[in-house]
Amino acid sequence: MANTINIFPSTETLSFAAEPVLEPILKTENLWKVYRTGQVDVPALRGVSIEIFPGEFVSIMGPSGCGKSTMLHVIGGLARPTKGRVFLDGNDLAAMSDSERTLLRRHKVGFVFQKFNLLPTLDAYHNIALAQHLHENGFDPHRFDVVANLLGLGTRLKHKPSELSGGEQQRVAIARAIISEPKIVLADEPTGNLDTKSSDNVLGILRQLNKDLGQTIVMITHNPDAAAYGNRVLHMRDGLVVDGANVH
Amino acid sequence: MIGHNVMHRPVRTLITIIAVAVEVTLVIIVVGLTSGLLSESAKRIEGVGADIMVQPPSASVFMAFSGAPMPIRLGDKLKELDYVQDVAPVLLQFNSVNGLDIIYGIDSASFRSVSGGFVFHEGHGLKKPDDMLVDDIYAKSKKVKVGQTLRILEHDFHVVGIVEHGKGARLFVELATLQAMAGASDKASVFFIKCDRPDRTPAVMDEIRQLLPRYEIRPLKDFISLMTSSNLPGLGAFINSMIGIAVAIGFLVIFLSMYTTIIERTREIGILKSLGASKPYIVRIILSETTLLCLAGIVGGVGLSFLCRTIFLDLFPTLTILITAGWILRAAGIAIVGGLLGAAYPAWLASRRDPVEALAYE
Repeated sequence: MANTINIFPSTETLSFAAEPVLEPILKTENLWKVYRTGQVDVPALRGVSIEIFPGEFVSIMGPSGCGKSTMLHVIGGLARPTKGRVFLDGNDLAAMSDSERTLLRRHKVGFVFQKFNLLPTLDAYHNIALAQHLHENGFDPHRFDVVANLLGLGTRLKHKPSELSGGEQQRVAIARAIISEPKIVLADEPTGNLDTKSSDNVLGILRQLNKDLGQTIVMITHNPDAAAYGNRVLHMRDGLVVDGANVH
Repeated sequence: MIGHNVMHRPVRTLITIIAVAVEVTLVIIVVGLTSGLLSESAKRIEGVGADIMVQPPSASVFMAFSGAPMPIRLGDKLKELDYVQDVAPVLLQFNSVNGLDIIYGIDSASFRSVSGGFVFHEGHGLKKPDDMLVDDIYAKSKKVKVGQTLRILEHDFHVVGIVEHGKGARLFVELATLQAMAGASDKASVFFIKCDRPDRTPAVMDEIRQLLPRYEIRPLKDFISLMTSSNLPGLGAFINSMIGIAVAIGFLVIFLSMYTTIIERTREIGILKSLGASKPYIVRIILSETTLLCLAGIVGGVGLSFLCRTIFLDLFPTLTILITAGWILRAAGIAIVGGLLGAAYPAWLASRRDPVEALAYE
């Protein structure tokens, strides 16, 4: 049976103020993801159970190959779990069809990637606006201006990604991720391709989004300094969360 | 986004547009050449000025394909019918030296009576057995002048006049000369009949049908409508084959272009999917880009068609290439349908990409 997804964003158009909500915005129960390589099953996630509440900024740390990125893909609806359940804003991703997960990503998830993943043919303006155009609510010029100014992109909007620095590209990517007011922003090593100064800038922006606007953020990193920007750190190893899974 | 994508690879875009343009040009020019040939031939035959044309039983409307089996004395019987003003027997001979031409062997007096006579640009009418008249288009294209000798059908003819085009053929010689050359003494391929009043034409045709029951009797007023590709065996198939080749060109080029595009843009497809772009959205983007390329190709193809026509007509003034709005629209439709078919599979592939794999694509 298809899940019903509330596709309409919050009525607080420009305010992300955190509210005291007891229900987690994201919850996984015994989450497994197994990849098949030839004849061999390779488990990337082996029963992950976590809860993330609205307004949290959670960092996920762990060595390469521990399943961090896989978990981000699964909780973001990009990949279907092999076993277990993922609830995002009350929607069970594991039970959703491909097109339902697409709809959920469009309305409830914002992604920020290590390699920025901006469309190279579009300038910064159109890269950001694209996310709004995909959204049923369409382009909102007022919100666009607010977000562009918040990210300090006012003078760089007519530039294509190839004409922007790494830090600028990542700020465009963050703007694209939050422009449609997602319930959660999933950042996969957002500073992995940046120098120290740009990294600090990007991490500062993420923290500002979380603190000032209450934006829920899950960030993958293997940099302890970057992880410290979050208010909770999960540690993963061998496909399992070994520390920080629960709010204390 | 679609425009930006198309312009991202200008060389590939240009090549795709050129391929579609060639496809469109191929359709327009092939159809234009065949329909132009038919239409121009029909106009020339109408231009003879007769009211009725009589041909042997089962003769083709395309007179060049007809032989000469009618006895010339039939003309005398036809002349005796009511309302017939005059009858002009004509022997047709096909000449393939220096191009394809039909030669009319005419009896000058009767042909003049039926057709109202030639309009001379230069020279005079046929007087001697080896005299020849050429029309102005033939003279211009072959650079023929009055007084020149033309060797046609292994016979030396003296050009004695250049006449206004539009009287059935481009080359005219004495009937008796052509009969002798063709071994068709006292034979004619066609009789052109002039009625004393145009409104008597149906009545005269009825009389002829009674006199010559199995003969082909056609009013020249409607001759253009008879000159269609469906009346020439194989021509329709030829046109369809050429259209098929054109469609195949468009299909394959668009297919290759879009296939390489989606491979190259695998990561971008992953990005779109991560943003929540649906499968129909991705298909729509690919098909919209294809449509844009096709539209540019169509515009280029129409322009190229007119350019080709100008060049062809400059090189071969006797040709007629008929470019009609109807066939431009059909060629455009063919290009778009071929293009969309070519893009359908790449678009479907793109829409089914796994977003995680697509995002990891280098």
